[in-house]
Amino acid sequence: MRAAFSNAIVKLAKNDPQVLLLTGDHGYALFDEFRKACPQQYINAGIAEQNMVGMAAGLAKAGFKPIVYGLSAFVPIRVLEQIKLDVAHDHLPVIFIGDGAGFVYSHLGTSHQSTEDIACARVIPNLSVYSPADAHELTACMEAAYQSHSAVYIRMGKSDRDEVHAAPLSPKTGDLLAIKQTPHSTLAFIATGSLSSTALALASTQYPKASVWSAPFIKPINTNQVIEICKQHQQIVTLEEHSVFGGLGSTIAEISSAHSPSHILRIGVEDRFSTHCGSYEYLLKEHGLDSNAIIQKIDRFLIPK
Amino acid sequence: MTNLSKSFHAPDLRKTVLDMAYAGSAVHIACAFSIIEILAVLYRSHLRYPDNKPNSALRDYLVLSKGHGVMAQYACMRELGWLSEDAFTQYFSDGSDLKGLSDSRIPGLEVTSGSLGHGFSVGVGLALAAKLKKTDQKVFVLVGDGEINEGPIWEGALFAAHHQLNNFMVIVDENGFQAMGLTDEILNLGSIEEKFASFGFDAISVDGHDEAALDIAIQTLMQRNPHQPKALIAKTIKGKGVPFMENNNAWHYTRLNDSSFEDAIAALNKDAK
Repeated sequence: MRAAFSNAIVKLAKNDPQVLLLTGDHGYALFDEFRKACPQQYINAGIAEQNMVGMAAGLAKAGFKPIVYGLSAFVPIRVLEQIKLDVAHDHLPVIFIGDGAGFVYSHLGTSHQSTEDIACARVIPNLSVYSPADAHELTACMEAAYQSHSAVYIRMGKSDRDEVHAAPLSPKTGDLLAIKQTPHSTLAFIATGSLSSTALALASTQYPKASVWSAPFIKPINTNQVIEICKQHQQIVTLEEHSVFGGLGSTIAEISSAHSPSHILRIGVEDRFSTHCGSYEYLLKEHGLDSNAIIQKIDRFLIPK
Repeated sequence: MTNLSKSFHAPDLRKTVLDMAYAGSAVHIACAFSIIEILAVLYRSHLRYPDNKPNSALRDYLVLSKGHGVMAQYACMRELGWLSEDAFTQYFSDGSDLKGLSDSRIPGLEVTSGSLGHGFSVGVGLALAAKLKKTDQKVFVLVGDGEINEGPIWEGALFAAHHQLNNFMVIVDENGFQAMGLTDEILNLGSIEEKFASFGFDAISVDGHDEAALDIAIQTLMQRNPHQPKALIAKTIKGKGVPFMENNNAWHYTRLNDSSFEDAIAALNKDAK
């Protein structure tokens, strides 16, 4: 996914001299290609994220198209007010990249982990929220964000999990992407980011009656498509490496409750910080997001009431 | 391109502020009064708006980062013909456009401010954009002395100096007060001029109510030291122009009643003679 990101920003910047990349002194080797290809369009704003986002707003007001890169613990969380007031309020075309979302920085603790970013970004008017699962979705999200000419937050989580798509995509913004279609399925998995590949793997091995959708677009999301999925399935499981509050699961539940009330299990991070450190896989386990724990949750959910 | 033909007469601008504050029962009168002469000098002699349009692509930028002083800017924009008379008589009425803090939806107001410490960074971005586009646009950012408690101001100051944004000028309205009292007693700023100088700015202090001195200081800063951003520290009086409001921080929050409105107008008229 990181190579896809590097390719995407180089392509955008080469084709459009108004595209600028701003980083808050993060992304060490990630920008090697960009700096080689478009050195005049690269700005290291220093370890000063609030100023970086305010400046991005000023640059966008003057016609530039900034891509603001940071770790998702800082962009959007630390700079949420700058995003709200300086960028989103004025409908400015700024793309925010929050890298390392979820538990990527598994050894570093709470400061660098982010499981609240989707929830915080979703409630800002004029700000879209994308959460790609693999390199193909990331490429499509970057293109959609650029074409939208508006403010977009793109969440980049664990980047080296299995691909969920076999080929490049050209989705319509908002669409959920079917990654496993089972005829007459009664169980639907809707997942985003790193957990899309988990959902796909579980459906393939444990839940033959399940169909699986990956949701690269959290906001806007294709409401009609969500309603259709809700209507066609008795049970729905959402999966995300993000708080169960305010993320993908909440989005689906909000739509469902208004249009097609469904039995929904929201799998994600319960309302807690990480206690210990360890490998990424360890952290998923600590939060009950490893395959075994997810299976237990789903099986409890599926027992007829 | 500038507006030398318009008077921007300070007592008239203050009277406009009083009229609208009275009409809308608005607060922040003293915050507006300390920046009247600064805005008058900028609009009259320094800000260039091609075709007198507030949103011309090649305009200079006046960023009111201390959004609380916005009534002073409305008064200047009235003189430029950018706002309708109704906007003043109907200030704060239901469904009206002009808010109590700067809002970028109004052409002529560059940022939405009031949450402090935002406009400085946006201004740095605008100044950087002008450099990248190789235009001669200038950016003036007006901040309060209380406002520079905010961290992003100093993040932006580092950036502006590092990138030699000589088209960027911060003007500090140093009226000595912030919401809850004296800046010296809340978070002592020491010498603001020295602070900006130490960050790499070309800095000058000036009497913020002496229009001739302000004018010369701005010209001086714009002409000398071509590799530095500029800081103009304007020593001002909060509530300037109406003696009972001057250095009385209650007028950050107090609304006018019939009697205080009449007294304030009388004081202005006396001053204007």
